[in-house]
Amino acid sequence: MDEKKAAILGEIPRLRRYARSLLRDRDSADDLVQDCLERALMRLDNWQTGESPRRWLFTIMHHLFIDQMRKVNRRGEAAMLPLEAGEAVAQPAEQLDGIASREIIDALQAISTDRRAALVMVAIEGFSYAEAANILGVPAGTLMSRIARGREELRGLLDDTARRRTIRIVEK
Amino acid sequence: MIRRDFSERDIHMALDGELPVDERAAYGAWLDANPEMKARSARFTADREALRAAFAGVLDEPVPASLRKVVLGEAPARFAAPRSRWWLAAAAAVLLATGGFGGYFAGIDGIGQENSAEDQLAEQAIAAHVIYAAEQRHAVEVPASDKDHLQTWLSNRVGLKLVAPDLTANGFQLVGGRLLPAGESKAAMLLYEDDKGERISLFVTAESTASSKGTYASAQDGPQAVYWLDKGYGCAVVGSLPREQLAVVAKSAYGQLLAGLAS
Repeated sequence: MDEKKAAILGEIPRLRRYARSLLRDRDSADDLVQDCLERALMRLDNWQTGESPRRWLFTIMHHLFIDQMRKVNRRGEAAMLPLEAGEAVAQPAEQLDGIASREIIDALQAISTDRRAALVMVAIEGFSYAEAANILGVPAGTLMSRIARGREELRGLLDDTARRRTIRIVEK
Repeated sequence: MIRRDFSERDIHMALDGELPVDERAAYGAWLDANPEMKARSARFTADREALRAAFAGVLDEPVPASLRKVVLGEAPARFAAPRSRWWLAAAAAVLLATGGFGGYFAGIDGIGQENSAEDQLAEQAIAAHVIYAAEQRHAVEVPASDKDHLQTWLSNRVGLKLVAPDLTANGFQLVGGRLLPAGESKAAMLLYEDDKGERISLFVTAESTASSKGTYASAQDGPQAVYWLDKGYGCAVVGSLPREQLAVVAKSAYGQLLAGLAS
């Protein structure tokens, strides 16, 4: 097996984690990773020597994700949809252990796509601001404001959930 | 050491390891002097730990064989359009979040504020449009060919006298309709299509106490909703038409809906 392929294989767990945080549903996330890997292999020649495989692959996957989200929003392209809606409605994700994890995963899904991607890139995947801005294709200032707003929004949602829970307990 | 003023921005930078080393001591002193900021920093730190913990398990999962095969070249490469299935889950998540979190949605800049009824209505209408307008064979539950039944059924379920507006003058034909959840109540969705396949949808609920109107978009480039809320009902028209065109169609639809409600 050549070195490039070995390096790509080694990044799959990270790619899966990033996809899972973007999409939550495990099968959908793995589909995104598969799209990413296929595109990467078609473009192996574009991978410049010395460029980190992680950054290269994350960039590809992020573009796929953003492109598709735009198309979804524009509706026209969505005709390519091969599945019935019912099949893809998110199932309870398997990795959910405990209410805290479920709540934060739900909250993460509820914040806007751009903020979610920026926050996950830095807070979970551990990229520096410069790397994350590069992968997401935005200026560092934009990245920072997305992270800040993403965190605020996430916290707001978690507070909201906690409040609802309190109300429910009080009502009982 | 040069003292500088710190701000909330530095909380994020510190948390993300982006604060220059020589500023960290001064930052720590600033936090100690500002209990509110310190509490904020602690909450963000806890949230990050929770996020990391929630997804940590993914790294330990065995890599699915299907993904290994793609890289090792054992699976036939698909040069066709990407599988494009995963994003539907993302759209569905909007619907779920709409139900689950009640008054809080993406795309709102006023952090921490409760979303208003119109935002909720518009978000639900857009989420429904994104999912169902994309469907070819299963876009509606009851087709336009069964229009009388469609109107009776949705009217009974939603609790409003619904008449599907005639939008042929605007170039749109009724495709059909479906019943949807809307918060703790129900909504009727009516789907229309023009001869180029462009679709718009009407989203009507009987639950509203506010009274307002406006337009709403959840994302850049995304479909827009033109909505009206009044005591006892809410209506949103969603589509990706140019704004002026959507406004014209929406006005026509709304006028007819109102006339129908009153009939």
